[in-house]
Amino acid sequence: MFIRVQRGSAVPISRQIDAQIRAQILAGALRPEDQLPSVRQLARELAVNVNTVFRVYERLAADGLIELRHGDGTYVARGRKRAVSTQLAERRREFSLELDALVRRALMLGVAAGDLPQWLLESIERVQQDVSLADLLSHDTESSS
Amino acid sequence: MSRAAIVVHGLRQGYGKQTVLEDVSLEIPPGQTFALLGRNGAGKTTLIRTLLGLLQPSGGSVEVLGLNPWIRPLEVRGRVGYLAEDQAMYGWMTADEMARFLAPFYPTWDAHLAGKLLDRFGVPRRVRIKHLSKGHNIRLGLALALAHRSELVILDDPAIGLDPITRKQFNRDVIEHIQAEGRTVFYSSHLLYEVEAVADAVAILDRGRVVRAGYTEDLQREVKRVVLSAETLALCRRPAKLLDVNRKAERVAVTLDESARWIAELSSGGVEHVVEDLSLDDIFEAFVIGRADLWPDQSPYRKAAVA
Repeated sequence: MFIRVQRGSAVPISRQIDAQIRAQILAGALRPEDQLPSVRQLARELAVNVNTVFRVYERLAADGLIELRHGDGTYVARGRKRAVSTQLAERRREFSLELDALVRRALMLGVAAGDLPQWLLESIERVQQDVSLADLLSHDTESSS
Repeated sequence: MSRAAIVVHGLRQGYGKQTVLEDVSLEIPPGQTFALLGRNGAGKTTLIRTLLGLLQPSGGSVEVLGLNPWIRPLEVRGRVGYLAEDQAMYGWMTADEMARFLAPFYPTWDAHLAGKLLDRFGVPRRVRIKHLSKGHNIRLGLALALAHRSELVILDDPAIGLDPITRKQFNRDVIEHIQAEGRTVFYSSHLLYEVEAVADAVAILDRGRVVRAGYTEDLQREVKRVVLSAETLALCRRPAKLLDVNRKAERVAVTLDESARWIAELSSGGVEHVVEDLSLDDIFEAFVIGRADLWPDQSPYRKAAVA
């Protein structure tokens, strides 16, 4: 499991770790029954407070993404389908906020609000031409359905 | 072990006429990693020396592991591991000799643990201390501070002069050998990004006063920067915990603590604004050199808003 923590960021460290583990589970890089490093191991590896890592694990467990098995270890949860779909909804909500930020930036750059749909259409066209990305998307829908 | 590891209440400390600490109050629960942040000369080392019973408080009270360090300094020092800013050790001794030299000073000294920690930290045990690198020197200091199974470890700006990789390894050692074992750490530093990842809670010490204390993530949640137009600012109430006002042409960036209510007021009042998250660095800066005094005088702005 590769995780990178950016110190001195406006994003709190626990949120950085949380987001990266979530993303890896949702993307299937971490599969059900995969074992996660122990709290202590991960804290040491990242040079991050033990309690911070512990809180992240607890939150992920509460969301049904991982299981803390006492005396055994931490694993990616098996029955994660429902968890994944609610997670996905949340990611999409986040995406809509990111889109807001992009729109704000466009307006700041003097792009007329009425022209924005055209920009979006052009962007979709460009993205769809990218075959490898399209592959990735279709693969993604298969694995999550 | 439910009793606080350190309780400081209304501490005042001065040398002669000069006041170094004023009304400092802190409470550090056992098992917590606490970082004291401050610029050079803010009073960090004075506070640590008071905790160790090396300085008598000019006023207020201090309790370390339930003891008054000024009355019972040897007991306190026997139970606290201390790593000084500029650890002075006998250069002609080897690490092993230093450990044997220190052992009789501590009733709970564990020679086996001392050796294990030195090996674990990669400190050469049979080389004279004066020939050790700075990184080895500090890790030797940490090993010696832990070898008497101290319940509380006080680190005074330990990362000074270490390269980034050694610093990170040092932090890993602190996390693995102190934090993960539930011991209390009191960490003083002026390298914020360094302690940010390691600390549970921080206190910002500025010119002898604690200007803010809290859990790192609470600080990041509560202290925000809000950017809005200079014109609409005139219609806003001055936030109770205003830290900084920075005006650039028509835009104003307002940094404030306990920001939720003020931001909610902006939203409900229909005032256009952008809320920005801050790093611990930004927060520290706002508390220490923020210009709350630049909040605009209401009257001229009101006229402008009307006109």
